[in-house]
Amino acid sequence: MKRSNDIIIFVVGSFLLYFIFSLICIFSEVNFPAIARINLLKDIIQNDTRSINFEHNQNDQGLIPVKIKGVSSKDISLYLRPNLITNFNTDTSKVVLENIVKKLDDLKNNKSTKIRIAFFGDSMIEGDLITQTFRKLLQDKFGGQGVGFVPIMCPSDKFRSTAIVKISNGWQVENFQSSLTSKNLFISGYLFKGQNEWVEIVDHTITDTQINIQKNLFYGYANFPSKVKVNTENINIPAKEVFGKILLNNQRSGGIKISTIDNKLPIYGISFESQSGVFVDNFSYRGISGVELNMIDTALIKMLVLKNSYDLIILQYGVNVLFKPDGKNFNWYAKLLKPVIQKLKNSFGKADILIVSTADRAFRYDGTYKSAVGIDSLVKVQAGIAYENGVAFYNQFATMGGENSMVSWVNSTPKLANKDHIHPNPSGAKILAENFFNAFIKDFNKHPFLSSRQQ
Amino acid sequence: MPSFNIQAFLNEFIYDQKNPLLFNNGFFVFFFTLFIIIYYLFRDKIVTRKYIFCFFSLYFFYKASGSFVLLVIASAIIDFWISRAIFQIRNVTGKFILLLSSIAFNLGMLVFFKYTNFFIQLTNELTSSNFQLLNILLPVGISFYTFENLSYTIDIYRGHLKPARKFSDYLLFLSFFPKLVMGPIVRAQDFLPQINRKIIFSKSDFAYGYYLIISGLFKKLIISDFLTLNYVDIIFDDPTRYTGLENLFAVYGYALVIYFDFSGYSDMAIGIARWLGFHIPDNFLSPYQSENISEFWKRWHISLSSWLKNYLYIPMGGNKKGTFFTYIFGVVFFVFVFITSTQLLHLTYKMAIMLLVILLLFFLLPSLIKKDKKLIPTGFNLLATMVLGGFWHGASWNFIIWGSLHGIGLVVHKAFLVIMEKNNTIVRNYWLIHILKVVFTFHFVCFCWIFFKAENFSLAIDMIYQIIYDFNLAVIVLFVKKYKYVLGMVFFAYFLLSVSKKTHTKFILNFTRFPLICHIAIFFLFIFLYGFFKSSEPILPIYLKF
Repeated sequence: MKRSNDIIIFVVGSFLLYFIFSLICIFSEVNFPAIARINLLKDIIQNDTRSINFEHNQNDQGLIPVKIKGVSSKDISLYLRPNLITNFNTDTSKVVLENIVKKLDDLKNNKSTKIRIAFFGDSMIEGDLITQTFRKLLQDKFGGQGVGFVPIMCPSDKFRSTAIVKISNGWQVENFQSSLTSKNLFISGYLFKGQNEWVEIVDHTITDTQINIQKNLFYGYANFPSKVKVNTENINIPAKEVFGKILLNNQRSGGIKISTIDNKLPIYGISFESQSGVFVDNFSYRGISGVELNMIDTALIKMLVLKNSYDLIILQYGVNVLFKPDGKNFNWYAKLLKPVIQKLKNSFGKADILIVSTADRAFRYDGTYKSAVGIDSLVKVQAGIAYENGVAFYNQFATMGGENSMVSWVNSTPKLANKDHIHPNPSGAKILAENFFNAFIKDFNKHPFLSSRQQ
Repeated sequence: MPSFNIQAFLNEFIYDQKNPLLFNNGFFVFFFTLFIIIYYLFRDKIVTRKYIFCFFSLYFFYKASGSFVLLVIASAIIDFWISRAIFQIRNVTGKFILLLSSIAFNLGMLVFFKYTNFFIQLTNELTSSNFQLLNILLPVGISFYTFENLSYTIDIYRGHLKPARKFSDYLLFLSFFPKLVMGPIVRAQDFLPQINRKIIFSKSDFAYGYYLIISGLFKKLIISDFLTLNYVDIIFDDPTRYTGLENLFAVYGYALVIYFDFSGYSDMAIGIARWLGFHIPDNFLSPYQSENISEFWKRWHISLSSWLKNYLYIPMGGNKKGTFFTYIFGVVFFVFVFITSTQLLHLTYKMAIMLLVILLLFFLLPSLIKKDKKLIPTGFNLLATMVLGGFWHGASWNFIIWGSLHGIGLVVHKAFLVIMEKNNTIVRNYWLIHILKVVFTFHFVCFCWIFFKAENFSLAIDMIYQIIYDFNLAVIVLFVKKYKYVLGMVFFAYFLLSVSKKTHTKFILNFTRFPLICHIAIFFLFIFLYGFFKSSEPILPIYLKF
């Protein structure tokens, strides 16, 4: 066999070329990330004048899309504080969520009443994540049994542990994304119809089996009166108004099965509540930014408030607004969200409204996961909208740990978030909920009646 | 002005847990260049050359796994002396006791480092005890060099091999850096004779090694890492958040990831060995082109499957007889299937028993048809080999399930062959039938990969559930739009997989004729491409964990 020196010539030759190339790149002004990454000397020769990392620019004033009117009693910068529900009042000793806190105080003093929280959100709260812990902590403290509203179906049903939903196959669904959306879409973003279809829902949150659970059907307007069947009994549904609620049963069991008779009646879901207590309804809809709520008919919300009033509206959105890694300008979002807040304020009446900021979301920049470059800007926009519209604000991003917290959650042991660097997993969601609950209780504890009683 | 950081420079020589040495580290370029220069200078001085190789190999191992390098040295010393004693003493019982002590030492080490916490957890679950898990790190490459130690001792015991004459020969066999971290598992009888021979490097050695190294790097760093980071890991992490379509593509994607990752690393190892004068047999032979599962295991991770065959399947009785272990295993396995199907899959007792009967039928069919009792244990031996092979991959139930599925697949295939033979059915190998067989086998393998990749059983079941019940073809347009680069890479990778052996050989042959300058140019093209795709988080090769 003929001897050849190709191997040694190739290795030494390529190495020399590679080495010289790396040296030239270090000492010249060549600054392509792709080339910097493969530089043989990058770890041992440092060049301070260049950085291939994206930097967050916290003080970029040009990016604030919401105009803040300065008021002496208010301080917008309060939004930066973690673990705080704020209405931007400089005097932070006063209650922010006055309406619900007052009612919770009544409930705590054994007044029989129902307090409802509508918790709107995207995939962050899907499968009852966050809300299940928040609900449990609230019910443990203030009383109440029941999972609240459960839609007929939802993409996360199979994996929701707080309510088990079984359905027949023929339900027709309309939602925010349907091409022809009915006027009577519910606040959950869904509407279901079907002839001879059935649904069975079992509430798995009930810990006191001696208590009666009211199971109410939520439905919408239909041209003709309709019926649904519960066991063998037919229940008449007038369906004359834009929103209706009818008691299906008030028994101790936490489960119910209903069947439809015709496909004219728009059905929204069933709620599970005890006679008295606090209830958290999870209204999750994956992939949305919250501006979709503008599609809901105001008359429907007003009727809902009459029949099933809410005391606190929480909006947890933002990760879907951060869909572009380099997006920093959210003027468009501010413009679209503002009328939604106005609409909710007008139609939900007395209820407190609370905007929860986006949690951290990371993208890969130059190969390394880091918080989205636009995240500060988005949180600022969300806070600005809360400030401008006189609603409360809670900084989920800062509470979670701020910059790069998502990266450390993904890499922590045990893991707290998924590798998509968007979604906290159930353990992470539990932490978010506990922190939120603590902030909520901190606000509750500021209540003057409470302090006078304690004295 | 750029400045030389002396501290960072010195730190480069020390083991860094976050950045262990692999073939794709910048440090490896320096390491390999220096090594090859010295190695070539002394290539004709066999003893010196060997010591140099040992030194660099052990240093490589130190850079890859820190103080665990001492474990390799210790196991080399112990196995070298035990094997020598086995060879020298005449007493059969003495030989056997020595063999057992070697097996106990090697398996004991493997079990301690790899399975202790698994068994603690199992004990806690079964007895409601609460033993603390131990803080044990898995030494890199232990699964590979333990098997090499075992094959060496067993071969000497069987009289198939004379022991290495010098300890340095054995140390080099064990620590040979190209294959140390992730295999292939090399047999001493193939390797030892190559250590002390005169090496002549030819043009074809260069070209063949070069081709394997570059294609291995391309498979691992461009295809596998891209798909892992941008798609597969994300979906497998939380399958319930994604539609069945996305989940299905994650499974297809993972089939690519594991093949390109592992075979890429094997190619690099074989290519580098070739440049250093050593021939290591192929570890993968286009496994996804297999027509059936038996063929798949002849083409996938060949060094492992042949090890399992020689040192596990045949000693258990192979296709000739059953041993005590065969029957014990058979009973345990059926109890395991019964518990899994009732507890985890929530089948009724009736259905679980039916499943067991059907399974048992496949095990018994060959012997019923051929009216030969001796065929009964074959299936159980095969299954036991695959289950233990699965467990070798990692201390988790999912690997046991993965091994069991492959074992059952092999048994069913064998039963099928016997039925065909009995009925004299001859299926003509039309191209369409060939393709259908390949597609079917590939999908069976993919199905099993779900258990291999998913972190736990419930995530694997979630994924299967999503694929079956939430397929949602309506999202296809959005899916293509969102994942266009990933899909592009998937299709490109499948195109590479479909290339026939003939085309491939022809391509290599043409490739070897290129002048040296072309090879250098291609190397730099690859580096720039890598720079474009590189993630600064090192994605550790999948098999490093085993």
